[in-house]
Amino acid sequence: MLALQLLVTGLVTGCALGVVAISFSLVYATTKIFHVAHAGIYTLGGYLAWSLMTYRVPLALAFLLPVAACAVLGALMQSQLYARLERRRATHLVVLIASLGTLAVIQNIIAAVYTPNILQFPLNWSSRMVAFGPVRLNWTQLLTVAVSVAAYAGTMWFAHRTILGKRIRAVASNPMLADITRLQPQTVYVYVIAIASALVCLPGILVPLDLGLQPYNGVTPLLTATIAMIAGGVGSITGAFVLSVAIAVLQNLSLLVMPGEWSIGVTFFIFVIFMLFRPTGLFAAAR
Amino acid sequence: MTLLRLSGLAAGYGAKTVIADVSFGLEPGQILAFLGHNGAGKTTTLKTVMGLLPPRAGELVFDGQRIERLDVSRRVAMGLRLLPEGRGIFPDLSVAENIDVVAARNVGGAAMFGIADVYRLFPILEERRPTRAGSLSGGQQQMLALALAILGSPRCLLLDEPSIGLAPNLVERLFQQVRDLCRSHAMTAILVEQNVAAAMQIADRVIIMNNGRIVFDGLPHEARESNFWNYF
Repeated sequence: MLALQLLVTGLVTGCALGVVAISFSLVYATTKIFHVAHAGIYTLGGYLAWSLMTYRVPLALAFLLPVAACAVLGALMQSQLYARLERRRATHLVVLIASLGTLAVIQNIIAAVYTPNILQFPLNWSSRMVAFGPVRLNWTQLLTVAVSVAAYAGTMWFAHRTILGKRIRAVASNPMLADITRLQPQTVYVYVIAIASALVCLPGILVPLDLGLQPYNGVTPLLTATIAMIAGGVGSITGAFVLSVAIAVLQNLSLLVMPGEWSIGVTFFIFVIFMLFRPTGLFAAAR
Repeated sequence: MTLLRLSGLAAGYGAKTVIADVSFGLEPGQILAFLGHNGAGKTTTLKTVMGLLPPRAGELVFDGQRIERLDVSRRVAMGLRLLPEGRGIFPDLSVAENIDVVAARNVGGAAMFGIADVYRLFPILEERRPTRAGSLSGGQQQMLALALAILGSPRCLLLDEPSIGLAPNLVERLFQQVRDLCRSHAMTAILVEQNVAAAMQIADRVIIMNNGRIVFDGLPHEARESNFWNYF
């Protein structure tokens, strides 16, 4: 029974992680920027929602306003930071350091404003349990699965069915040609980071709703999501999502046979083995 | 009337000047075979005309307007189109998506070539609509690249080695298509080619570059009658 409970909670964690992974993957595949500050946006989304809920703003708004704020912040990061660095022909390393710096600034501002202590959301329904036979989940976990699967489906639809989605994939596929066919890669990068920031805000609110908020809690999900993205094949939305779920389930099931502090080690072990056999990732398009 | 004029154009990368004092003008409908050995500066010239590389000196006039300060997007809107060497398609998108995404940004109300026109010109693309562009054959990829280059209202095509990796009969077909397009729509083309013989067959004019400078400028028959290979 414990195995089944661990499996199901692993699926829940994996769905939330999957949204972090697909959003990070969108940014990385299109802009080639290792956008570490994405972890800061994830964390900030949760804190903004917490503030709104504390002031008893209606629940729907408490979700939507942070999503919009994160999208704006993401767009600003691209247009005011990354695009300026690119114009000055900064190397990938410089851009990575700028992103790390932005992450540190966001985390420290959050810690200064909200204190570094764990904050719990002032909601009474979120931790109420629902039993499905032997498995028990709370409402937050159910909401997490529903929202994450919808975010995945929505992203797939957007990328393959809308003209902006196709334009983003075109820029990712051949940026030089995109430039000379007026797809305007620099504008597309702003859209992409805005969309990815809005997406990552969803798990940024939902996960802490269950586990509480901390200023530095965005880094581990981002690291794990990066692994899922690479193992799933860079650029593959489905790959990033499926691998996130698989990694979270394996991490959870590993608790049956070893202590919890080993779970990150397990993740990296799987990753290394995986990369040895399939270095382009599971869902990489044939080239 | 001259459509495109380069006067004393110079450009390069870093400390290195790759082309210097490149000057010529092209009339509407003219096809120029732009030849030279590897590294002679042909691609650099095309990139500078397109706006991918800033000129160090000289003037660029397109359709009566100075363009050397305009960005790439503006030049494309005016009708300058580049088919880049070996990278003219979006490999991860389907054929239909390639065409849709370029058409959405380039085909306006009075466009010369819309989506239906390119499918009519290249029927094989219609058949391969759902196929991932990267898994098309080399010849089909170049057809798609040419289709993407002409969507909208092109007036001057800059073709960078479009025949690379193609079988000889495909090269002939592709070049005939380029010539027919230029004749029927008064489009100008600059054709950079290693396949000298094929390029000379459709060209109205030949320019040969060597070490970043123009060393021959004349008609195809003049080129054939001169000590042609000495220029390379």
